[in-house]
Amino acid sequence: MTASSPTDRAAVRVDRVACTGHGVCASLLPGSIRLDEWGYPVVLTPAEGGVDDGDQARAAAVRLCPAMALYAGRPS
Amino acid sequence: MNLVELLDQSGLTGRGGAAFSTATKVRAAHEHRAALVVNACDGEIGAVKDAYVVEHHLAALVRGATLVGGRRVRYAAHRGSATEARLRAAGLDVLSAPARYVSSEETSLISLAQGGLARPMTKRQPFVMGGADSEGRRIRPTVVLNAETLWRVAQVVEHGPHWFRAQGLPKEPGPRLVGVGGAVSRPGVIATSAGIPLRDIVAAAEGDLDRSGPVIVGGLGGVLLSRAEAAAAPWSTEGLRPFGGRPGPGVVHVLDPDACPVVELARWFDHAAGESAGQCGPCMFGLPAIAADWRELAAGASPAPARQRLLRRTASVTGRGACRFPDGVAGLATSALRVLSDHLADHASGHCAAGQTSRSSHDRVLAH
Repeated sequence: MTASSPTDRAAVRVDRVACTGHGVCASLLPGSIRLDEWGYPVVLTPAEGGVDDGDQARAAAVRLCPAMALYAGRPS
Repeated sequence: MNLVELLDQSGLTGRGGAAFSTATKVRAAHEHRAALVVNACDGEIGAVKDAYVVEHHLAALVRGATLVGGRRVRYAAHRGSATEARLRAAGLDVLSAPARYVSSEETSLISLAQGGLARPMTKRQPFVMGGADSEGRRIRPTVVLNAETLWRVAQVVEHGPHWFRAQGLPKEPGPRLVGVGGAVSRPGVIATSAGIPLRDIVAAAEGDLDRSGPVIVGGLGGVLLSRAEAAAAPWSTEGLRPFGGRPGPGVVHVLDPDACPVVELARWFDHAAGESAGQCGPCMFGLPAIAADWRELAAGASPAPARQRLLRRTASVTGRGACRFPDGVAGLATSALRVLSDHLADHASGHCAAGQTSRSSHDRVLAH
């Protein structure tokens, strides 16, 4: 899978095995990530009301995820 | 014509459930010099066809696997199963998988084949290209093909793509196996093809869709059809699409007409909850929550709030696991809500006609 188009870069994916539900991503990307009832991230597509939080916030979220579970790419 | 061209012309798709083009998969496997794992685990609830292929067509299966080839060719079966014993007796390189639902998922087998646990891995790219697991452990290129698929590969090579395409539907060609169980007199493997009426497939196992309960097509990753829907549906991708189903791994389970389907389904969801590998949050918490919602409905809770919660949760877990197990269970739950909505209302008013009845049929299946 390539992550080259603007739409690809404008989104993050969650490695579900690695994710332990710290919720840091939802604080850093409030427009595009909300937490489910168990505290795990839901990546919102534009159709689901997701808003682009910007490149900088996205890079920070990927860098600061305590479980290193966030990576660049379209939400699956 | 080389193998990939033959497979391409035949239109063979994977018989393990995903129905992906076998030609495409084999081409990628050859490009990346992938190892091959033959999946003979029958991992879906009620699946019996991999065992059947190993028992009755082992020589052809091995021919198919040898034709595809790979860095190493291994045969995966559930530990302690008759299939495992047969593969070992034939001197094959056996990969023993724990007898749990997600153990035989594609990426679980790839992990197991490389010395890891038989648990699904996040697929950042197809593992036929190689990659890494979530802890950064290197995964070498590996492809997983279902046992029936490889038997079909041998048949395509032996009889040709035209022979293969003469059966089934233009979009879903070739012979296929289906395991039929539950409330039928002769449960077992039925040789059929896509497009055959579901009622004929059930009749071949001596079941009668004029006098049955609802029907689960595709196991825990499948859908529930009402008796009337099942009696009228063709067994094909198009025929099952209106119900959210598909031929999938080839499993049909007929529910007992005298048992309460709501109680039966509750046991399926309880079972599903216990089969999560416990890795991905939405699955590890979502499936027990779905099972609990369903139990509450079965116990006669007011259907509206429990139903709303269940719908929200099935939507919430879908697409949020490393593998498709949560999606599958969510699909079964939403189809069951649809098919059994009247029955759930009966539960709420305390008028379930069937009541708490026999445990026999599904307990046998779920003990699998």
